[in-house]
Amino acid sequence: MTWFSTVFQKNRRFASFGLAAVFFMLIAFSPNVIRPLVGNVCSSIFFYPFAELKNYILDLQHVSRENRSLQKQLTETSLQLDFLSEAKRENQRLREVIGFDPPENFRLVPVKIVTLRQEKYPIAAVINKGSLDSLTINQPVINRFGLVGKIREIMPDFATVTLLTDPSNAVSGRVTETREIGIVRFSAEKGMYLDNLPADSDIEPGNLVISSGLGGVYPAGLAVAIVDSVTAQRGDILKTVTLKPTVNFFEIDELYVLIGGNK
Amino acid sequence: MRIIPYILYLFLLAFHLTIFKQITSAYGGLIDLSVIMIALVALYRSETTTLWFAVCAAVIAGSPRLDMMPWELLMLVIPALVVNQISVRINLESITSRLIIVGGFLLVHQAFSALIISARDFFYLMYSSVLPTLIYSMIVAWIIFLFIDGRITWKKIKALF
Repeated sequence: MTWFSTVFQKNRRFASFGLAAVFFMLIAFSPNVIRPLVGNVCSSIFFYPFAELKNYILDLQHVSRENRSLQKQLTETSLQLDFLSEAKRENQRLREVIGFDPPENFRLVPVKIVTLRQEKYPIAAVINKGSLDSLTINQPVINRFGLVGKIREIMPDFATVTLLTDPSNAVSGRVTETREIGIVRFSAEKGMYLDNLPADSDIEPGNLVISSGLGGVYPAGLAVAIVDSVTAQRGDILKTVTLKPTVNFFEIDELYVLIGGNK
Repeated sequence: MRIIPYILYLFLLAFHLTIFKQITSAYGGLIDLSVIMIALVALYRSETTTLWFAVCAAVIAGSPRLDMMPWELLMLVIPALVVNQISVRINLESITSRLIIVGGFLLVHQAFSALIISARDFFYLMYSSVLPTLIYSMIVAWIIFLFIDGRITWKKIKALF
């Protein structure tokens, strides 16, 4: 053993070269046993961690690309959904209009709002039809919820509608439950209210107020508002009645002009 | 304990071959890190260290293609020993002389690899792959030598910014 150690120490250089040569011979002339074994050992020790890391990074890149693609698809789908929802709402409105009966001797002319004049509340709307479509001044304008206003100005292709929220536009209203008549007015401070109702009236919150037909502008029976609150002080002659319009004037879009009547 | 840095070099080589090689490729040129690392060991370390580091590096470089493993052993170990002998016998003070040696090593490795992979397309490979790899790897080797010689230091880099 001592002899071997001495020889090895003295010929260390040649021993190294010899071992390397033997290793080379094994690698070169054993392509089916030693070479795959060495390759596998190297792969599992040195390459495996980095191969896993590489796969992880590639997976992340793939997920990132897929995420971008899905986000794009989601945006497109939500856009389509918005269009479809709008179409559904329009469809619903049109179905309701089909079942909507205009007052006797009247016919409906559908119009669209071009612009809405708004101060604190919307007070006037410009519609896309005018005298060329047989519209005239003072014709009532409604939507599926009730009375909206009347035509105030007329042009060949356009017309201006004064809404019930215009303080100058008062309507004669009738309380359906009590058959009493008052004047529906609007002011920025009070909102919509029923004027000229006697203090001994039996009107209650929740009663429906419709157009009375008096005055000759609006036909009778169009829904105008629902009674919101009723107050009367002792000694008052008239009751204070606040109303909630059946029409939401902030959301009006499709309107109908009532044409015909006794004329 | 003395072999730990060499094992880390081998891990670095495996990392380069697995991930970094493809990322850093440009105009058909790759960084031949195995040759650069073996040449550095051959220039600055003993003959036995060079021999065994070259054998290990060649085995790792040949692992992805087992049929090339004996060729890698030959093409990396023999030039490494030659470089080591040159560095022992000749005084290699200047960066240029070391770069010439590394360039020769790179040329031998790349040219023989191209010859073994496809002898018929040798000249095409020389133009499209070997020369870009040679230039690219020599630039990397030049930067490494600048670091080794202390011409580029972290302090100088920090001073620049």
